Amino acid sequence: MEKIYYQTLKETLFHEKLENGLEVYLLPKIGFEKTYGLFSTRFGSIDTTFVPLGQKEMIKVEDGIAHFLEHKMFDMENGDAADEFAKLGASSNAFTSSSRTAYLFSTTTNENDCVELLLDFVQSLNITDESVEKEKGIICQEIKMYDDDPDWRVYFGAIANLYHKHPVKIDIAGTCETVNNTYKDMLELCYQTFYHPHNMMLFVVGNINPEELIGVIKENQNKKHFLSENVIQRLKIEEPTSVAVKEQINTMQVEMNKLIVSIKINEILDDPQDKIKRELALNLLFDLCFSKSSSLYNEWLEKGYINETFSASFTQERDYAFILMGGDQDDYELLQKTIFNFIDHVQDLEIAEDDFERIKRKTIGNFINSYNSPESIANTFSRYYFEGICSFDLVDYVSKMTLADINEVKRYFSKEYASSYIVKKDK
Amino acid sequence: MEKVYKMPGYDLHLLPTNKFKNITISLKLQNTLDEKTVAKRTLLSFMLTTGTEKYPSTQELSKYLESMYGMKLGANVVTKGKSHIININSICINQEYLPYKEDLIQQQIQLLNDIFFKPNASKMAFDQTMFERKKKELVERLINNQDDKFYYSLEKMFEYMGKGTCLGISSHGNIEDIKKIENEELFSYFKECIKNDQKHIYVVGNVDESIVHVFENCLSFEKNNSIFESVYSFEKNRKDLLEIIEKQDVTQAKLNMGYRISVNYTHQNHYAFVVFNAIFGGMSQSKLFKVVREKNSLCYYISSSYDAFNGVMVITAGIEGKDYHQTVQLIKEQLKEMQDGCFDQDDIDTAKLMIKNSMKKTNDEPLSQVAVQYNRDITGKKETNEQYLEKIENVTYQDIVDVCQNIELDTIFLLKGRNE
Repeated sequence: MEKIYYQTLKETLFHEKLENGLEVYLLPKIGFEKTYGLFSTRFGSIDTTFVPLGQKEMIKVEDGIAHFLEHKMFDMENGDAADEFAKLGASSNAFTSSSRTAYLFSTTTNENDCVELLLDFVQSLNITDESVEKEKGIICQEIKMYDDDPDWRVYFGAIANLYHKHPVKIDIAGTCETVNNTYKDMLELCYQTFYHPHNMMLFVVGNINPEELIGVIKENQNKKHFLSENVIQRLKIEEPTSVAVKEQINTMQVEMNKLIVSIKINEILDDPQDKIKRELALNLLFDLCFSKSSSLYNEWLEKGYINETFSASFTQERDYAFILMGGDQDDYELLQKTIFNFIDHVQDLEIAEDDFERIKRKTIGNFINSYNSPESIANTFSRYYFEGICSFDLVDYVSKMTLADINEVKRYFSKEYASSYIVKKDK
Repeated sequence: MEKVYKMPGYDLHLLPTNKFKNITISLKLQNTLDEKTVAKRTLLSFMLTTGTEKYPSTQELSKYLESMYGMKLGANVVTKGKSHIININSICINQEYLPYKEDLIQQQIQLLNDIFFKPNASKMAFDQTMFERKKKELVERLINNQDDKFYYSLEKMFEYMGKGTCLGISSHGNIEDIKKIENEELFSYFKECIKNDQKHIYVVGNVDESIVHVFENCLSFEKNNSIFESVYSFEKNRKDLLEIIEKQDVTQAKLNMGYRISVNYTHQNHYAFVVFNAIFGGMSQSKLFKVVREKNSLCYYISSSYDAFNGVMVITAGIEGKDYHQTVQLIKEQLKEMQDGCFDQDDIDTAKLMIKNSMKKTNDEPLSQVAVQYNRDITGKKETNEQYLEKIENVTYQDIVDVCQNIELDTIFLLKGRNE
């Protein structure tokens, strides 16, 4: 087992790649009662067109299938995985994002048994036509819960506006229609293709003994047989550079109008180092411009262009990237004008060296703080892992950032690739 | 283990541990929950974290906090039964993790002192610009909260159920009251709070007794012996079930059911009720989840929660409007089954394990640890986590059957679509 010590964080990470291809990472947290295990697969809502394991032809499955599968994974031969965890004194859950699905448990007892249960329930699928049918109503209610959330609607709408073809434009859970068109055989096909150990990663953090636990994990994995691994072929999306919808207004019962301006970034970076540098630089830039300490932010606030709901963010996943900026504002045209004006003039924005150093300090502090939470450590690790980045290095990456790195990312702001999504009051 | 020190005007609680990379300081101001002051207290909590004499604006204060490696300073308000609490939380990196040593904790405590004794204010009022900005911000936030239909419908349920009692008072007051608050009025209320509110300060992190001297030098309040009531059991004030149905443009109906239970945090049956609630609707192995969601596919979320300070239980679920009567019927049947004793030792064992698990987890989260301790401190309950778990362990099947005999449905609030 490989052992890596991170000086800045004072943390020791253990790593081993098992014979079946599964990557295992273990982080003991001394003094903690809690243990948190996260088992992730590189399979998310955007993986809807691919060559199934052992076949030759590309197929298209229903939207929302990764999420549907997540719901059904908990069915075990003799009951429900969540109940089995409960019997061990643990709670369990799962989530699906655009590029991955993750299963988790959290416990203060029976740590090794919980890890085994996590491996066992995710590494076998037990579904019937009836159990698949039954889940449809539940997932449909989950979709409707989000439909009533105006913040989710404006957020998701702003992303969807950018893309002609890329499946990130489709809601993670799909629609009630695609959910109703999902059947057992299709779920099984996805399962066989994407839940192979070589496409997965296990992270356990907390009150654990790494040497002992790796033994338990190996023994568990050695008992199981998996088909030989092959490289998963996913459809390469030919996404045009232009934005699909320039502006869209949606009427809802809300107390205040909402606007998000999204910017499509067509430059997809392959090198993980470049990727993380770009992400950190954009996040630092947003902090410099829009945190409470910024003059620009305070000016906008005083003039009434924005209120405290305003925020800006950068997202990049496997093969897409975008910027979002917006918030609540009854006069959304004024907010839109303000954001467009920012996009046009960001190149001229001068950043003072001391502001930059201060924001760096804050970012470093925030990263260190996040290492108090096992959940946050595991989730961040998994989120970056599939992008080829080790999240334990992030603090050191931030320390090395320069003002030139920040100025470099200003070029991504372009009105040509911007779109607006508005949620408007129906009064 | 917790150590308590009597300081001028406050109790200082130290919870030393070296497992965290930061130091958490939580200051709590307690007073009576009252319709006349709740709006002021909420706005005050907003004002307290916007600046001091030395850092006289949100911008200046933020710059300072950022330079302290992103020290967090936040405030919020909560109700605890008949009491209203303002929480001020400050979290800062432990200096051990810095490339060079800086005395961050001293500055952290000094800032708390400045918030109260060197505010960004004249003798009579807060800085007018900041006051207006924060007031506007709070009003907008409360308006926005109404877009969250889960939260909105739950608040409405409490409003109807608790009309005329403290249960019906929202923790943040109502928007119209906040709009009416004048700067001078708020400032004089601030002075009253400093004088009259019951104060506790909690410190979690790698600290030893020497920190007590730092507090002695940096922070003192006027002596104050006021005691405020908090925990109680909500009592019957209507003959029949109150059923309210409101229509809005929503696609999913939100069902909220409020129950009277005649148990509360200081009641001897508290532990039995905690176990009852876990079996009935408090976790994903519970009866409600299994029957309403898993068996009948009627919802994605459903749960019951026990508000131990008001002595009430609430059930929330997101359903189709047309399934309203069926859902309520199923919930009633599940409660009846519990009352008839239709649950087994496995249900009890699982519930107890889950309760134990969640109590132990609080030790890994500084603010949860503080919350658990604070509940005990304001109710005078002498109890350690171990003693709590022992009492949970001792709850019997019969205790659970007994404790749920007195549960009575009081109010239903349903928010549903216009076209249904």
